[in-house]
Parts: sequence; C-alpha cells; structure tokens
Amino acid sequence: MSETMAVFRKDLRLAWRDRSAWLSAAAFAAITVLTYSFAFDLATQDVRPLLPGVLWTTFLFAGILANGQSFQREAEQGTLDAMLLSPVSPTAIYVGKVLTNVVGLLTVEVAVLLLATILFGTTLLTLELSLIVFVGTIGYVSLTTLLATLGSRARARAVLLPVLALPLLVPMLIAAVRATGASLGDPVGTAPWMLLLVVFAMWTSIGGALLFPMVTER
Amino acid sequence: MSGETWMLETRGLTKRFGGLAVVDGVSIRLPAGSRTALTGANGAGKSTLLAMLSTLMAPTEGGAFIDGHSLATRPAAQRRRLGVLAHAPMLYEEFTPEENLRFFADLYGVPDAAPRIEELLRIVGLWTRRHERTEVFSRGYHQRLALARVLVHAPVLLLLDEPETGLDVEGMALLDDLLLTAPGVTVLAATHRLDRIGQWSDGGVHLERGRVVEDTTAGGAGAAIAQAGAKR
Repeated sequence: MSETMAVFRKDLRLAWRDRSAWLSAAAFAAITVLTYSFAFDLATQDVRPLLPGVLWTTFLFAGILANGQSFQREAEQGTLDAMLLSPVSPTAIYVGKVLTNVVGLLTVEVAVLLLATILFGTTLLTLELSLIVFVGTIGYVSLTTLLATLGSRARARAVLLPVLALPLLVPMLIAAVRATGASLGDPVGTAPWMLLLVVFAMWTSIGGALLFPMVTER
Repeated sequence: MSGETWMLETRGLTKRFGGLAVVDGVSIRLPAGSRTALTGANGAGKSTLLAMLSTLMAPTEGGAFIDGHSLATRPAAQRRRLGVLAHAPMLYEEFTPEENLRFFADLYGVPDAAPRIEELLRIVGLWTRRHERTEVFSRGYHQRLALARVLVHAPVLLLLDEPETGLDVEGMALLDDLLLTAPGVTVLAATHRLDRIGQWSDGGVHLERGRVVEDTTAGGAGAAIAQAGAKR
C-alpha cells in the first residue's frame, strides 16, 4: 500500500509540475461544452435528453487526451523501467497510476459539470449524477491506463489508445449515458445502468491489475 | 570453487527475438565481491544479458541465480539486492535530485532515507543543486545523479551498462570510488572503455554474437570458453 501511495504522490507531483496534459484536456472539455451550448436552442428546447451524450463525449475524449500521456513520459525517460526494477509489484505501480488519473479526470469532470450547469441552466452536480460519474470514471480510467501502458513503447501510440479503447468502452458508455439520462429525469431509473457501470468498473480494475505485469514484461 | 554459492550465476541463459538468438546459452559464475568487465562489440548481447539479469526481460531459455536464489521464482526479493545503471539515467526530469532519490528510496523501502540521500548527493557533488530541476542538468550530472539513484538502497550486486557515459574525469573517479571499486559489492559492468578495465576489474567476460568467447573470471575460466569453442 505504501508503494502505491508513493507512486500516486509522485504522479500527482509530476502532473502539477507539468500541467500540460491535464490543462489541454480541460481546455478541450471546456471548448466542447461551450460549442454544444451554441448548437442547441436553449430558449425553446429541453436539452436534458441531450446532456448525457454531451457530457460523456466530452469526458471520453478529454480522458483519452490526458491518460494517453500517463505512461508515455515514463517510457521515454526510462523511469517505468526504473520502477519495474524495484521490488515494488507491478500491480502497485498500476494502482498508483490509476488513482492519479482518476483524480485528474474527476477534477476535469467536476469543472465540466459546473460549466454545463451554467451554460445549460440545469443542475448537474447532484449526488446521484456525481456517483454515476465517479463509478464510470473508475472503469474508464482502469481500462485506458492499462491500454496506455501497452502503447507507451509503440511508435503509433497517439493513435493506438483511442483505437484500442473505444470499442472496449462501448458497454460502459451505453451504461453511463443511460444512467445519466435517468438521473436527469428519464423514467427508466438509474439502477440497472448503475449496476452495469459497477460491474464494468470491477471488471476493468481487477483485470487491469492482473494484466499489468504481463503488459510490462518484455 | 566447486560447491560454492556464487553471487551471480547464469546457466545457459538465452534470449531469442523471433528466430534470432541475441544471447545464446551464456553460463557465467561470479563470486561475491568480484568485479567483472562485460565486453563485446555493439550488438554482441551485453545490454540484453544485463536486462535479463535485472529481471526487466524474461529469458527464452536458461536461468539466472543470485546467491543461489533463482530470479524467476522470487524476482521482487532479488530486485531489492540489485543496483542497475542502464543506458538511460532513469530519472524524473521534472523532479529535483532530492525528490528523485526520495521517490526511489520509498520504492525500495529505505528507512530514514534523508541522511542517506544527503550523503549521496554530497558525494556526487549535487548537494548544493538539490533544489534545481533535473532537466537543467548536463548529461554528466544526470549520470552522477543516476549513480546516486543506483546506490540509494545499498545494493549488493551492481549491473552497469556503460556506466562511463557522459562522465568527465572527476565523474569517472566518482564512478570508480562509488561503484566499480566499492567494498562489499559484486559488479558486472558492460563497457567499451577497454583502457580503463585494468583499473577496476578482476576478470572479464567477452561476448560475440551472444556467446561467451572468453571468460577470465574466477568462477568460470575454462568452462565457458570450452562452451564457446564447442559451438564454433
């Protein structure tokens, strides 16, 4: 546990020192939400049915933008090898990375929800929606962090992550969009979609922790 | 030295990429406290051999043992005893020297690391620059900090890949004092600086196309040469 926290603290400090990845993700997210707000006629339309798609498209691509770099710098500087040379289990390294990426993406997502609340005139920072975003983010980040490791040594790494991640994220995206829609007034209710999100988060986080040692082995 | 437990022993260690054997049946035995120069032309397999010994790369065949313990069965416990200096300094450019060493001390579970970090930074001449980011340092200073990183957890077996890279005369002296001739450690160092080998090594292993063609270490003289001779 202490090794995981050491990796987590190190990554948070690195993210703070070089804010370019998360700042570009936040800027992308803000511009996307702003563009959507211009596209809809807020005076006459009920935009709530559209908001789940707006939010999760924004979260998805902002996350891809930032998570793709989480192992790239480590691979370039050789520090991923330095961590793997230590007695720390690869799983601890993976969990530390996932925690950092979850914190980073959640920060961007809270900012997006605040901005969308202002732009679309709908309260989005509710407990229910926050829980959906939190669980969805854990599943999403667990998968993309693993795939970012896989692509960190590849030449086409910028393309590799979205190409590999997007098809695998489809079940999670469907569940997240439907659960978000339900929390904004869809009569179906959030429970079945929330269950799917929880299962996806468990599957990707456990699978990621088990597969990471194999992904890093040469 | 029959029946002796060697600090480092490899038995038929082989790494193939596709059909190509980059390291081919290497068997060496290094006694504790020995200092071995690993030589060979570019592409001879030195870095691949060191990558397998440091557990970064799994061998295709054969095995490696540290103090009689297989690297394959308890790699984490063995890694605690290893100090590895590779081609890249393996440092966080955004961190200061102090932060770099503190992080690696945390990974290795070094208790009360602050005095150890101060001692190492003073030795490598970076104590006065401990608050500067590593990215502003020259290649030589990167290498000095890498030497400190290797030693932060007091390893007993050092695996060094061209450790002289980027070092000036003063840096070379540091390298000799800290790693190559330090008491109580076993050293296996890949090098192209044949002119310096006599200053620090007590034996050598020469590789050609992944095979041992000359072994003048205390543990392996004869056997490895015969192995290479039989294959030629």
